[in-house]
Amino acid sequence: MHYPFWDVGIGYGILMAAVAVPHVFVSHFAIGGGLYLIVAEHAARRAGDDRHLAYLERLSRFFVLVTLVFGALTGVGIWFIIGLLNPAATEALIHTFVWGWAIEWTFFIVEILAAALYYYGWRHMAPRDHMVLGWIYFAAAWLSLFVINGILTFMLTPGKWLRTGSFWDGFFNPTFWPSLVFRTGVCVMLAGLFSLLIASREEPADFRARLLRRNSAWGITGLAIMAPSFFWYWRAILGQVPSTAVQGMTTPVYWIHLSYWLAAVIAAALILFGLLLARRLHVAVAAILMALGLAWFGAFEWFRESVRKPFIISGYMYGNALEVAREPIYRKNAYLRFISCPSGDEAADLFRHACRSCHTVNGYKALKPAFDGTDTAFIAAIVKSTDLLRGSMPPFWGSAQEADLIAAHIRDRVDTRHLSEIYGLHGSELGKKVYDVRCGGCHRIGGATDKTGSLAGLADADYEGLLDMASELGEGMPAFTGDAAERAALIQYFKTLKHGGAE
Amino acid sequence: MNLPDYQVLPAPLWLITSLHLLTLALHFIAMNFVVGGLVLVLAYRAQDRWCNPVILRFVRLFPIVMAATVTFGVAPLLFLQLVYGRFIYAASIVSAWFWLAVVGVVIASYYALYAASFSNRLSARKVCLAVALIGAVYVSLAYSSVFSMMERPELVKQLYAEDQSGLVWNPRFKDYLLRWLHMMAGALTIGGFFASSVAVGNPASPDPGRRFFLWGMVLGFLTGLAYLFSLGEVIGPFMRSPAIWVLAPGLVLSLLSVWFYHRRNLVIAGGALSLSMLAMVFSRHSVRLLQLEGHFDPSAVPVRPQWTVFALFLVCFLVALILGSYMLRVFFRRAESRQT
Ligand code: HEC
Ligand code: HEC
Ligand code: HEM
Repeated sequence: MHYPFWDVGIGYGILMAAVAVPHVFVSHFAIGGGLYLIVAEHAARRAGDDRHLAYLERLSRFFVLVTLVFGALTGVGIWFIIGLLNPAATEALIHTFVWGWAIEWTFFIVEILAAALYYYGWRHMAPRDHMVLGWIYFAAAWLSLFVINGILTFMLTPGKWLRTGSFWDGFFNPTFWPSLVFRTGVCVMLAGLFSLLIASREEPADFRARLLRRNSAWGITGLAIMAPSFFWYWRAILGQVPSTAVQGMTTPVYWIHLSYWLAAVIAAALILFGLLLARRLHVAVAAILMALGLAWFGAFEWFRESVRKPFIISGYMYGNALEVAREPIYRKNAYLRFISCPSGDEAADLFRHACRSCHTVNGYKALKPAFDGTDTAFIAAIVKSTDLLRGSMPPFWGSAQEADLIAAHIRDRVDTRHLSEIYGLHGSELGKKVYDVRCGGCHRIGGATDKTGSLAGLADADYEGLLDMASELGEGMPAFTGDAAERAALIQYFKTLKHGGAE
Repeated sequence: MNLPDYQVLPAPLWLITSLHLLTLALHFIAMNFVVGGLVLVLAYRAQDRWCNPVILRFVRLFPIVMAATVTFGVAPLLFLQLVYGRFIYAASIVSAWFWLAVVGVVIASYYALYAASFSNRLSARKVCLAVALIGAVYVSLAYSSVFSMMERPELVKQLYAEDQSGLVWNPRFKDYLLRWLHMMAGALTIGGFFASSVAVGNPASPDPGRRFFLWGMVLGFLTGLAYLFSLGEVIGPFMRSPAIWVLAPGLVLSLLSVWFYHRRNLVIAGGALSLSMLAMVFSRHSVRLLQLEGHFDPSAVPVRPQWTVFALFLVCFLVALILGSYMLRVFFRRAESRQT
């Protein structure tokens, strides 16, 4: 609220991903690739293999162009974009870790210089000196990862820092080491998969097969580092969050399972195509393997982001820049007076600061389906209890009037016809829709707060009574404000419910 | 539970400001090399300019100097956000798309410079260099517009109230056009200076840097003075502030650099030029503080130093310097022994 809010039509999540995903891929590749080049150069020089050396020189040109320019500047890009999307969080991170970044900057200088000289030095430098440059590059690149890893893991598990505020507590936080090992594995895997792709087009065939075996071995090694360290990482996370929170983490757990399957598929394919059938590996297979590898890593990053929800810095600042420490201040004074750059439309400003960093009305994570065919009172009730809904959202600490303003703002932008008209439903089908919209956000059937047990098998009068006093059933539960037809349909739907789950 | 407060500085302000201004001066020198150098390479009119060793050397050096520009740009941005975050984030959000575009444009310019240095075809090379120059001009204008906006918090609020889409380009050109022109004049000077320095090693060919250095200096004085007098209510306080005792010697140093340049003593000329650059950066900083007066006083922010981390930074920096010079030594040692 101390900053203006960039009101851009594209969802924040998409903007962030558009900049971050390419960078994260390239930067890990930049580290693994450096190691790959130098290890391969040693081998090639020892074997006196000129063809291999020439290949490595070509590879290193591509490598320099991708990592020094694209990799480095998309890194700057992430910094720019987080400053636009969440300036408060960026500010908190910079104030806490500025010397960490300064240290990383020194590695960055060494890294850039070493990479450039390594590339320009292939022909004229003494082999030993050249390889020393390669090692310096790799060491500096990996050390940058070391630093950034501290800051990234801090956001997820700040650990003791929340009490001490000490740099080192935040940096060497509970997930620092598992994440570092894991990411090192990612670097190795990406280097293997990527060089596999490049090598799959080399001629002649026996040279290609040799390269492919070597590169597959890299890929498999990377996976072998990643799998156990991921498990370690997950355990470290579980040690940091309350067990109730884990129950709610259906999304992250889904991603974990997906990523294990992916890892197994990639490993099997590498063994089969890369090691056993190396002579017949087709470019397309190598490309698919590369894509799978990126997907694996993407799933991991997605998982990391979703575990952190609703926070941007766990236990400290929410995704919409709400600072945990300021709860009493907001509860007392509400939000409006803290909005430092008002646009003139208070409702819009409130909506932006409370919801827009994660939702749009129509596009990314749209609110429209959730609020189409509802009413202002209902929307206001939801605004006040977002933290009860599925999806782990920040709490709302504004005033009731502010919630009403937000609700009116949203209501103006959604479909205001009746649910029956919008979806063309009636009877118990309409009732099910009413349930999904008006109850399902908090009581998903089959979820942790499923109310089928209390709802199944009651008499009509009980249902009427229940809906009459809905707002008293639970703290934050909205009153039932649907019209008579929706009420009747909902009750009709209740009657189809059975103990032990819906039909 | 008492959560840590982040509204503190992790080192004393003087230390942060020194690092900020020092790295910014380095950023300006590298950036001037790229921008001024590009203008020079494209505008230098001589029969066989593409055979002039200085021009060829520049084309090969551009990608590396661009790397230096970025590297020395990152550091001051870090310190700027650390101390003046409230203002720079707000201003960049108002111009969000233009601000974000800087990254894409720098990438494009950077690749264009690489392409030019690899290319053997003249026409392609010219196109690439021109693309890079256009990109650099965009970046510099975008920066001037945003940095001048951030120094006027009321303007930021007003512009944001009118439009929240991030598609606002600072409309108060009179705030920053002269300032930007002054930067560009400086670029010509520095670009010309580097060209002359490279030309020293090639006495057989003409020195393309001379005219650019001198004209840049003249334009720099004119635009600089004009900018100073366009500052409005800040001029008075600026003239009375200690900054004037830095700016004045800075101007003298610039003149001295011309004198020594004329005497072909480029080492002393370069030293004077660098010192005057530092003085300019300091003056620019003082103007910023004066403009923010009443809104923000950085010396009022509490300090909670992280000395151990800072010490580690110094150690790493030292190691980086040692490693850097070691790498350059082994790189050039072999190069020379091969050539001779
Ligand atoms: C920190 C991010 C964040 C903020 C801020 C946030 N939400 Fe959410 N919200 C989520 C996530 C994540 C989900 C889960 C949606 C999904 O997975 O598609 C969600 C889901 C919802 C849903 C349920 C959608 C459905 O399909 O069941 C509603 C309604 C909702 N949010 C309303 C709001 C409102 C109103 C605000 C502002 C007062 C808000 N949210 C603020 C992250 C956020
Ligand atoms: C904003 C969240 C929210 C929404 C929407 C919501 N509820 Fe609730 N509900 C709660 C909370 C919180 C409680 C009290 C805690 C609990 O029992 O889980 C509760 C309790 C209940 C209970 C009492 C459960 C018991 O075991 O005694 C019933 C029944 C119920 N809700 C039904 C509904 C129905 C029907 C709707 C839709 C018309 C609905 N709820 C919509 C949050 C919500
Ligand atoms: C082509 C590349 C670049 C060019 C031509 C360029 C040019 C400029 C110019 C002209 C200014 C002065 C603006 C003014 O005050 O009027 C400036 C300032 C600045 N630049 Fe760059 N720049 C480039 C790349 C970068 C990059 C990549 C970064 C950082 C990521 C950066 C960081 C900065 C910072 C932080 C300042 C101002 C700091 C301050 O005011 O304290 N620059 N640049």
